[in-house]
Amino acid sequence: MSADTILEAQGLTMRFLGLVAVNQVSFALARGEILGLIGPNGAGKTTLISLISGTLLPVAGELLFEGRSINGLPPHARAHLGIGRTFQVMKPFPRLSVLENVTVGALFGFGGGEHNRSKAREQARALLDFTGLQHRVDQHADELGGPDRKRLELAKALAMKPKLLLLDEVMAGLTHAEIDEVVEIIKKIRDSGITILVIEHVMRAIRSLSDRIVVLHHGEMIAEGMPDAVLADPRVIEAYLGKRRA
Amino acid sequence: MKGRVALLGLCAVLLALLPLTGDDVLIQYGIDALLFATLAQAWNIIGGFAGYASFGNSSFYGLGTYGTAIAMAQLHLPFWVGLCLGAFLAVVCAVLIGLPILRLRGHYFAIATLGLSATLSAIIANLDISGRNIGLILPLTRNDTMFYELALVLLVAATGTVAWIARSRFGMGLIAIRENEDAAQVMGVNTTLYKVTALVLSAFFTALAGGIHAYWITFIDPASAFDLTLNVRMVIMAMFGGPGTVLGPVIGSFILTFVYQLLASSISTAAALLFGIVIVLAVIFMPRGLWDLAGGLRRLGPRYFLQNIRAHRL
Ligand SMILES: Nc1ncnc2c1ncn2[C@@H]1O[C@H](COP(=O)(O)OP(=O)(O)OP(=O)(O)O)[C@@H](O)[C@H]1O
Ligand SMILES: [Mg+2]
Repeated sequence: MSADTILEAQGLTMRFLGLVAVNQVSFALARGEILGLIGPNGAGKTTLISLISGTLLPVAGELLFEGRSINGLPPHARAHLGIGRTFQVMKPFPRLSVLENVTVGALFGFGGGEHNRSKAREQARALLDFTGLQHRVDQHADELGGPDRKRLELAKALAMKPKLLLLDEVMAGLTHAEIDEVVEIIKKIRDSGITILVIEHVMRAIRSLSDRIVVLHHGEMIAEGMPDAVLADPRVIEAYLGKRRA
Repeated sequence: MKGRVALLGLCAVLLALLPLTGDDVLIQYGIDALLFATLAQAWNIIGGFAGYASFGNSSFYGLGTYGTAIAMAQLHLPFWVGLCLGAFLAVVCAVLIGLPILRLRGHYFAIATLGLSATLSAIIANLDISGRNIGLILPLTRNDTMFYELALVLLVAATGTVAWIARSRFGMGLIAIRENEDAAQVMGVNTTLYKVTALVLSAFFTALAGGIHAYWITFIDPASAFDLTLNVRMVIMAMFGGPGTVLGPVIGSFILTFVYQLLASSISTAAALLFGIVIVLAVIFMPRGLWDLAGGLRRLGPRYFLQNIRAHRL
């Protein structure tokens, strides 16, 4: 493993009852890169993120974060190490204000977070500006519309000051203009030194964001490489077309 | 903020002066109300903040009761040692049951805690040291003023603890767990530690209230010490006042205890029924308690009630 590898997965496997959702997946993430993770519905992308964030435990395989095994660590301990994620099925704190939602990330997060509540709140406020939620600060999370909920997921994860950010379809359901905004935000996040794994169905966004792409299909990694090469790979095209035909 | 603290301090001082009236009945009602408010406040920590509706609190109460009674009646130790013993037993119980049971979410947790009181009651009823199913008689102390002041000190301590929780990082973690536990844990909240700590704090204050009550009432038996309806009253009072708030459970239980006494003294047979109706109406019109009602009325006026009714799809 090279010195600037931040995350390495070796033979990760996850089964639900009979279904193999993730099968012998191995890959490495270099510090500072954006890795796109794509694949048809049900390919195992979300499951892979859950294995990394620790909300699911693999039946086999090894996960190394900054060179040490994190297999036995519960989710909160991985958060303290610097792994942050968003949820595809968003999980806001419904009856808390947008500001409080994000403050939780700042209070806990990397290294256990900023323990002072008012300082954490200030950090959260800055992130609301960054993600374009400044006009929603005092609204309850359950009053937000879809696009703003996506922004909130992103702001909550960012507030944790993660070293590695796992984004699960933060652009689903957004308009073209909104997608362009989020793409810019993600690029800025990377420029601030955060490594990003991004799951996305919006190909335009994936192409413009990713340094590299990994493709999952039926839980198996069927391709890995530069965006243009991977997206032109016959097996990748077939995986997607096969899905469309079904 | 400072004005508020001063006002609360004044309220506490006024309450502390109540025994000066020399009215025995009033003082006894006072002890009852203060202990109930403490129980509601203690339940608030695990139920209101962490969002885990505990029906195990009547067990903590029973352990506090028996810890005190065994220390005093059987071991002839002073009262404060009994209080410590009761609190210790309750805290140990909270850790032992909390670790496995707090993994269960939502209704499953509530159901799992339901059986605890009956189990402990059955164990106590078969032990010699706890007087089997006959119970224990504690040394008699005719000093209601002391019990009153003790209960007040305990309520102030419990409320102070909750006030700290509400402003602390720990409290924010509990609230995050209540609002969405999956999100809380991936954001770095050590959910197991936080939930068990909340249950331990809740058990601690509940057991102390039980200990004070045991010494005051001087006679205890398994059925009255591990009474599940007591737990139901804690829940109702905390929910009525405003779960997850600092003062809601206290105000809620003062009001409900008062209403209950009023009904019980004037129309005793219908009291329970009327009490039930009050609860049902409260849940429909102000499902988040008095505290939310106060804020909601200021913001929305009568529309607040319409909104709640609509939320219930009535
Ligand atoms: N908790 C679970 N229990 C049982 N099966 C599950 C569970 N989570 C996922 N699966 C199954 O595992 C497979 C992979 O699911 P996953 O959510 O990882 O796919 P995905 O690539 O994220 O799909 P999508 O693009 O639709 O989000 C699917 O067949 C899904 O039904
Ligand atoms: Mg998914």
